[in-house]
Order: sequence, then C-alpha cells, then structure tokens
Amino acid sequence: MDAMDDHDDNDGAGYAWEKGFERTWEGVEEDEHGNIKTREEGQRRNRRVRRRVGGESIKRGMIRYLYLAIDLSKTMADGDMRPSRLAVTLRIVQDFVTNYFDQNPLSQLGILVTREGRAEKITELSGNPKAHMEALTKDSDTKGEASLQNLLEMACTSLRAVPEYGNREVVVIYSSLSTCDPGDIHETIAKLKTHKVRASVVGLGAEMFVLRRLTEETSGDYSIAGDENHYRESLMAQCTPPPTPPGREGAMFADLVRMGFPAETQDVFPSLGYSGNRQELSVSGYSCPRCKTKTSELPSECVICALPLVSSPHLARSYHHLFPVPQFDEIPAAAPAAAAAAASAGSAGGMGSGAGAGRATEEESASSSYCAGCLRDLSGLPRYRCPECRSAFCLDCDMYVHDSLHNCPGCC
Amino acid sequence: MRLDLDGLDVFFPYDFMYPEQYDYMLELKRSLDAKGHCLLEMPTGTGKTVCLISLITSYQFAHPEVGKLIYCTRTVPEMMKCIEELKRVIGYRKDQLGPEGEKVLALCLSSRRNLCIHERVIEESDREAVDGACRDMTASWVRKKAEAGGGGELCEFFEGYSANGSDAAMPNGIYSLDDLKEFGKEKGWCPYFLARHIINHANVLVYNYQYMLDPKVAGMVSRELEAESVVVFDEAHNIDNVCTEALSVDLDKRSLDAASRCLGKISSKVAEMKRTDQARLNAEYQRLVSGLADSGLGRASGGVAGSAAGAGGAAAAGGGGGGAAGAGASAGSGGGATEVAAAADAIPANPALPADILQEAVPGNIRRAEHFVSFMRKVVEHFKTRVRVQSVESETPLAFVHRMQQVTALERKPLKFAYSRLNSLLRTLEVTGLDDFRPLVDVADFATLVGTYTEGFAVVIEPTGSVVPGVYEPVMRLACLDASLAIRPVFERFASVVITSGTLSPLDLYPKLLGFSPVVRTALSMSTVRKCICPLVVTRGSDQLPMSTKFDQRDDPSVVRNYGALMIELAAIVPDGVVCFFTSYSYMEMIVSKWDELGVLKRVLEKKLIFIETKDVVETTLALDNFKRACDCGRGAIFLSVARGKVAEGIDFDRHYGRAVVMFGVPFQYTLSHVLRARLEYLRSTFQIREGDFLTFDAIRQCAQCIGRVIRSKTDYGLVILADSRYNRHDKRSKLPGWVLQFLDETHLNMSADNAAAMARMFLKDMAQPLDPLRLKGTMLDTKKVAARNREKTGKEQRNASELNPSAAAAAGGGGAVDGMEIE
Repeated sequence: MDAMDDHDDNDGAGYAWEKGFERTWEGVEEDEHGNIKTREEGQRRNRRVRRRVGGESIKRGMIRYLYLAIDLSKTMADGDMRPSRLAVTLRIVQDFVTNYFDQNPLSQLGILVTREGRAEKITELSGNPKAHMEALTKDSDTKGEASLQNLLEMACTSLRAVPEYGNREVVVIYSSLSTCDPGDIHETIAKLKTHKVRASVVGLGAEMFVLRRLTEETSGDYSIAGDENHYRESLMAQCTPPPTPPGREGAMFADLVRMGFPAETQDVFPSLGYSGNRQELSVSGYSCPRCKTKTSELPSECVICALPLVSSPHLARSYHHLFPVPQFDEIPAAAPAAAAAAASAGSAGGMGSGAGAGRATEEESASSSYCAGCLRDLSGLPRYRCPECRSAFCLDCDMYVHDSLHNCPGCC
Repeated sequence: MRLDLDGLDVFFPYDFMYPEQYDYMLELKRSLDAKGHCLLEMPTGTGKTVCLISLITSYQFAHPEVGKLIYCTRTVPEMMKCIEELKRVIGYRKDQLGPEGEKVLALCLSSRRNLCIHERVIEESDREAVDGACRDMTASWVRKKAEAGGGGELCEFFEGYSANGSDAAMPNGIYSLDDLKEFGKEKGWCPYFLARHIINHANVLVYNYQYMLDPKVAGMVSRELEAESVVVFDEAHNIDNVCTEALSVDLDKRSLDAASRCLGKISSKVAEMKRTDQARLNAEYQRLVSGLADSGLGRASGGVAGSAAGAGGAAAAGGGGGGAAGAGASAGSGGGATEVAAAADAIPANPALPADILQEAVPGNIRRAEHFVSFMRKVVEHFKTRVRVQSVESETPLAFVHRMQQVTALERKPLKFAYSRLNSLLRTLEVTGLDDFRPLVDVADFATLVGTYTEGFAVVIEPTGSVVPGVYEPVMRLACLDASLAIRPVFERFASVVITSGTLSPLDLYPKLLGFSPVVRTALSMSTVRKCICPLVVTRGSDQLPMSTKFDQRDDPSVVRNYGALMIELAAIVPDGVVCFFTSYSYMEMIVSKWDELGVLKRVLEKKLIFIETKDVVETTLALDNFKRACDCGRGAIFLSVARGKVAEGIDFDRHYGRAVVMFGVPFQYTLSHVLRARLEYLRSTFQIREGDFLTFDAIRQCAQCIGRVIRSKTDYGLVILADSRYNRHDKRSKLPGWVLQFLDETHLNMSADNAAAMARMFLKDMAQPLDPLRLKGTMLDTKKVAARNREKTGKEQRNASELNPSAAAAAGGGGAVDGMEIE
C-alpha cells in the first residue's frame, strides 16, 4: 500500500508512477475576466489576507522559551511529501531554528521528540542553533506511535522552571492522526493552561480534535500543512512572537531583565571558549562582561554565570515585531493609476537599488506606474500601497517588505 | 431578523439566514395559504427546525384562526431541541413586539415516565411499571375507596391537581418537560395530568409520532384538536414504517402461553366478583347491551380500558376522555370531577381506526364476562394451534378469519370487539397492573385488527421468527402493509400536514405510499461555502477486483479482503472518528470474524480502536460512550454499525466523531422476509410501485440517513465512502438526496480503493484549512438581501401570472409556481 516508503532517500526524484496524483489542472483557475490565475498566486494573496489579522501593534513577548516538539512516529516516514515527511521536516526545522534565533535573538529553544509512545528530550533550552540541529539530525529515527500527552507533560515540566517574564511556548509538529497516551490528555491541557504555556501545532495530514482543543485552550495556532510550502510557511509563522495573552500582563512581569553585551575579543592564538555547552578552540570570541568567560557565538547564555549575552543589533532586530510595517492597501488592477503613481514618485530610491533606478522611476511614474521596489510595470496588476508614504508595490515586493525586510523602503 | 415574506411578517430569531431557509419558509407558507399538505426535503444541519417554528408561529400570529401547531418528533432529545428553538423564536418576538408577542402557550407531552414527579413512582424501572404505579394511586376506584376510608396510598400531586389544577388555566409560556415538572412541583400539581388537561388551550404542542399516528394513543390525545391545526412530522423519512408498525402485532408461542395464564387469572377474578359484587358485573352487562356508542363511551367511540398494546413502543399515555368507561362506572358525579376521574383512568383506545369501528352494541355472545373469557380462551387456543407450523404460511386476514370460523365456529363480528370488551372487563375487575395482562391485550389487539380489516394486512406465520437462527420459535405476525391506513385520518382531519426531513428523495414515492396529494413538494439543495461533503463511490479494491455485498459476491474472499484493505487505509488517513455501516448484523459478524483471521483488525487497531454495535441497547450505549471518549482523547476510533440499527437512526456523529462514514454495501432489506414480500406484493397491486423501485428507494433512503449522521452543520465536514459497485449505477445513485448528489462529481465515481484514499487525503487537508468567516457570511442572507430576494420573487411571479391565466394563478395560491420548482 505504501510502496513509496521505500524510496525515502532519493531526493524527490521518484518515478512518475510512484507519485501521488498531481492534479496540475486544478491549480489553474479562471477569473471573471477570463484571465488564468494559478493557485499559487491565490495562495499568496491568501497569505496576505492571513497576515492582515493582527497587523496592528500589540504587546508581544520578546523573550521566548520555546520547545519544538517533533513527532517522530512511524507516520513520519510517509511519502506524501517528497521524499518523505521526515526529510522535509528536518529541512524545514533547520530553517526554522535559524530563522527563530534570527528574529528572536533574546529567546531560547529546545527540542523534544516523541516515538514509541515516549517523549525524549533531544536538547535542553539554549540559545545555540547549531547544537540543536546537530542533535536532531543525529537522532532522527522514526519508530512506533506518538504520544502527545508525554510530549506535553515533558514540555510543561521543563517550562515551569523558566522565569516569569519569558513567554512559555511549545510548537508541536504532529504527523500522526492519533495519540497513544498513558492518561487523560485533557488534564495535561488544563495543566498547560494553568502554567501559561502556549501550544501551537503544525499538523500533517488532517485536522485532529485534540490538537484543535489544545490550541484553542492555550490560545495557540493550529494549521494543517497542505503542501511543503504551506508547511514551511506555517512553521515560520511561529518565528514571530505571539501576542502576550491578556492574563500575563501586569505585575508578574519583571520590568528589568539583566543582559550582557560582551565585547568581541581577538586572540593571537586559539584559546578555549564555549560554543553551546561544549568547549572549542577558537581565535575570536566574546567575553562575558560579568565573568569574562569566552563564548564563541551570540546570542547565547553564558555557561558559567547564566547571563543572557546579546549584541545591540540583535536587540534592535527584535523591534520589528513591536513596530510592524503597516498593512498595505490593495488596489485592484483596474483602479486609476494616477494617485498611486504620484505617490510612488517621491519614494522610489528607498530600496537602495541605486540612484539611476530611482530616477528612472521618477521619470516614468507620471505616465504609468511602476513598483517602488523592483520597478516592475504595474499596469494591469493589482498594486499594494503603503498608507504612510503612498508608494505602490507589486505583490512580490509587498511580501518581501513584510516578511523579510520589516521596513517600508518608501518611508525611510 | 424580522422579514416580510410574501406578505407575512415573519419573526426569525437570527440576523442571518441561509438562502435555502428562505426558500423553505416560502414553500411552507404557500402550503399553509393553500391549506394543503406539503412534502419538503432540506439537508440536515441547515436549520430546518427553526424555520418551521419561526414561520408557523408567525403565521399563527398573523392568522389567529389557524389552530395549533402540532410538532411531532421521534425522540425526547428532538423534543427538547424543538422547545429550545421555540423559546428563541418567541423570545425574539417579545423583543420586537413587547409583551404582546409573548402570548403563547407551548408544551411538551410525554409519558408518565418522563413527567412524573412522585418520588416513589419515578424510581420504577420502565415505562409500564411507572404507568402501573401511577394508576395504583390515581384510578377512580382506588380514590373512591380511599375517600371512603378504605386506605390505600394516593398521589399527593394528583390530588392537588384534581382539587385545583383541573380548572385553573396555565399561565402563558413555553414549557419543556423539565419546566412542566418544575411548575408541577411548585404548585403541587401533577405535571402529567396537567399537561393532558391543557392540551386544548395550548398554541403549540410538541409530542411523539405515536400520539398522532397510533390509533390506540391518538384516539385519546389528539382527538379533540381543532381541524385548522398545522401538523408537522419532522425527520419523517421513516414515517411509512412508523405507520405500519403502529398497526402491526406479533404473537409468539410464549406470549400465547402467557395469555392463557392471564385468562386463568381473569376467570378466577370473575368468579370471585360474582360472589362478592354481582351488581358490578350486571351494570357492565347493561352498559354493553345499550351499545358502545350510548354507554358513555361515545366520545371515545370505543375507547375503553386496557393498556398500551406495545405496538411500536407507543410512548405510553392515557388521557382525554378515553377512560369514560370508568366515568360511566362512577356516573353521577359532577362534570369536572368526572373529567378528572376519566383522565386518571385513561387508557389507550381501540387499535382500529375510529372510522372503522362500528357504532354497534357488543354482540350478545361476549357480553357476559364468563362468556367473554371462554370466547377469548377459544381464540387463544386457536392461535396456539395456528402458530405451530413447520413451514411459512402467509394469508390474508379474510382467509385467516374464514379458517378460524371453520375450525372454532367463532364469527368475525365478536372478534372486532375483543379489544374493547377486554378493556371493559379489566376495568370492571378494577385491575390497575395492566402490565400483567399485556399478552392477553396483545391477543385481543390481534383479534380486533384481523376482524376489522380485510385489506392492507397480511397474517404471516413463520416457524423461525426468533433472532437466533435455526431455533424453532414460531411467531405469528399480523403485518400492516398499507402505511396510508394509519395516517389517512390525520391527512383528512387537519388542514395542513407538513412532512419534512433531510432525506425524502425521491419525493414522488411518499405521496403514493401515504396516500395523499401534497400541494407543495420540493427538495431544497444546500448552499455551500465549501465542499463540505466528499462522497466517493468506491467500486473496486486496489487490485481492481469489484467489491459489492451482492448476494453472490459477498462471501467472496476478495471482497472481504478488499473491504478490509479499504478499512486499514481509512484508519490511517482519517483522523478521530470513523463510522462504518454494514447491511446487516449477520454480515457484520461474518466480515468481522474474517477480518480477524486475515489480521485486518490487528492492523486497524494500531491506528484506531474498534467498537461494535450489538443488538443489546445497553451494550451499544456503552460502546458509543467509549467511542466518543476515544475520539475526544485523540486515540481515534472506528464504530462498526448496522444500517438499520439504532445508531443509524438516532445518533449523531457530528464534528470529530464522524470525519468519515463508510457504507459497506447497499442496505437492502432482507428480501426473503415474508412480511416484506407481502408488502411488496401489496404495493405492486395497489399502488403500481415496482418491487425493485421500492427496495432501491428504501435502501438508498437508509443510506442517505447514514450519511446524514456525520454532517450536522455547515461548518462541519465529512468524507462519505460508498463502497459497493452498485452505487455506481445510475438508478441507485440518482436516488440519493440532492444535497449529496450536488457534491458527487463525475470524478468521484467508479474509484478504486487507492484512488479514493488519495482523494480523501486531499479532501481532509483542504477541509482542515481555516474557514474564512467572510465567505461564510457571504452565502447568508441579511435583511437587505432578503428584501432584494422578495422583490425578485414577486417580480417573477407577477410576470408568470400575467403570462398565464391570471385568475387561475391566483387561485392556485402559488401552487402553480411551486410545481415549477420541483426537483426530481
């Protein structure tokens, strides 16, 4: 039945007859004017719509303690994603971990897995992306059934010790459609709730009631990955810190969190420094301002005195969550170009794409309009306008500005 | 939303409505305007109940001459649901109109078991025991004796009711069963008798089918309802079966033996009474001489003492003036007191329909108690010899009676009176524990029906009637073949009868079966936000061998294996709950044991737990409970069930409890059953309905019913696997209701198991994506859109009217336009 399982390791290059049905014709839709749209485009628009929810500035916790809990049951070996769910998952998790620390330099992450009805802790909470990935790739056998309860219990026990000011989170990647539990899972869910742990789930396959309930109770997100892209997107969405739940505001937060900004040191000879929990020889490193221990990577936590070590750019990076780029207004393709064109004139240089390009836009914007980002001709395309500086962008640039750049090139 | 629907001010308690709800109400209004019956199909989960209630109460409000709304449901939970919606509608009307809008008296009617508030009585185990315990304390002679100081316990609540309650009017309001009990406790009145009493003042009545259809019960409860009333049968897809069951009686050897024991008991009682209270017997005799019609039984036209003869599990009752025999016995007391006493002695009326009962005196040969006892003894003995058969016998009632006459020299006429006479006797003997005499009452029931009707019935005697195959346990069945018999009085009496359900397709069969002509006959499709049902017709296994439960194929190992493979596949890809329906218990048992041998069950158990429906209700309830728990906690479960079982009819598997429903085979009835054969024969000769058509219709309606179990609302979604090659045939498929067919694309037909699995995966993924609330709202109508729709409709109608003969169009009251909307 699952003949495809045997071909896990040849990277997506299986024979055509081994693949599932690819309904390419279903990806194409015709709009009311007879233009052909691909589904991908529709999905991107949907993503825009999804992002709109909660685009306003909300209070978000900057310091997150997150356990990534991965289901490594037999179902992970399924071949409905190429080459296998596991391979795709590992790839995406790798990006997630990097991205997570990139966007949340002050936060920590740990990895849990479940297989054979048990939960195992692969890595403790720490701030070192490399260590996590190494540990996970080393130990990623799929086996037996998944146990959601054990997973959550373990996450809850570990997160209980975390300081009050941090956001406690579990992100579960769940591939099975059932869970094999020793007790009543609803008690565990209640426990997570009392300990203010937010659980989000990215599911593979289909919607499961317990997961839905878990995420609703703990006000997390639940998404089911439709395909690989959606999977990646759903997981990456967890990189953005969640809004602070109403109950957590107020007195229990510490106003001040002690942090160290270590100075970079360059030695002539390689000396021992910490990289994660291991010691390594290195030439360059950072020395902890409190105990002078040498650490080779930032952001991290000092191994000796447990001081969070960050650099100021990291801190600055965390800010875009607090002051997000405003949602751009969508102007349908048929709308009069004049307003948008006029607006885009004053703002084209912002992308840093060179003065020449900037001038070109200015010159041409009078007649027709061009994207303020990539200078693409926008006639006949829907455009997206920044409400602040009124620059018009194409869909691609809109995505880029909001997802990666976190700054409107027109405004700055 | 308060909307103007074709000139009627409708109070609809929600801000938005689905387009099909609008259409539904429009159709309903047309049939009320035309004072005719209607047949409406609307998918489950689209808010049928609220539409019905909202429109009809608004109609009552605008046209006070319309009588009651009588809402018939199948179960107590449905009753609760209906009352809840009613409260919402009336609450909304109150908001809109102030106290004026609140003037409604609505109540539920149920058996003593559901309404009693006496601590000791309510602790009794079953319905009959509760009834008996109640009668022990409330029967007129018991009370009389107590009054005279003879001791005996009386029910304080009944006394409270008879002292004040019988005259007091009930304040307006909507009373569910619990509200009634609450009210009764507060006032110290018996809720059961109070409810029976205020039927006549109520605007809305909610009760069980049997109260309307079973002549034994309906004779007392529904007799005095005004003819202008609107009667609604909700979930009425099985109404023909309810009708036939109401008039069918089964007798087996054991119950006949018990009946003779009852006769022994009675004759000794008669002998004893002869010694002690000869006057009573004489009084009874005198009454019988003067005829049923004049003996104070007039109102009941044959309603005499007895007990619910159990046909179709009549939700027990009593009431009205049915028990006037008791009143006759205690004649002379004042009007009010008589009525109370009569209500207390209330017992089911004659099983035959009122119109068929002769207004004659009881024949001479059974007037005397001892004569009647020996008459009954002869009948029982004859039945006993008849039931001892080695091969199946099937004959018409006429032939049965003729043979009886030849053997026993008993005539047909006294047979007709057996039931009434027996009840009269039981009353005279002051029997309260009617439960003990049930077997005898059944026999009398049988005798009366077989003596009264010559058409539309069949007597079938089978040597192996029991559930255990191969055991000699003969049973004699009097089967009603004509569903229209029981329901005809309802159609004739009431102005509008609404028959509605989620599955009434094909619509043209019901009017034939039930013998009525609806003015409105429409199936509404479902407006959808997304394709929330995914029907897949799986005809082949992964190995391309056909799968079917056709008689010649069902035992084929490849069919069993392929069904097993399908099951394993589904267990792996469907989350939470899966419900499977088999065609019969025996087939389910067979296939499950084979799956066990093949190791299918073991592989399924890795993914999900398995629960099985059995014939035992308690066991099944337990299994269901655990099934739901397994779904709740994420373990996932499969429920194996039978298409005509209890689960298929009344249990909802909404949301995660039923993410997929699998039909293993087409649920045809057991075609070798003699009762069914007799019915088919009758349908063919009387209604020109072909056997095959009826069987397919019946099978597909069961199938649709099973499918309907999983979709209970629009935000819900479910996979429907029809695993039988026969579903691919157009004649089967096209009989599915419209709301399934609209999702059944060409690409979903004739699939193999692996194709279906791939499709199912995609469907489940799609459905798991969040539903855009804006889109959901987009399909719904708000006040503005409703107004627009109104204009559109009226415009169209005016055009139609001007095209046609204007006067004819107006006279048809919308009937003409409705015909155009028929969906076949």
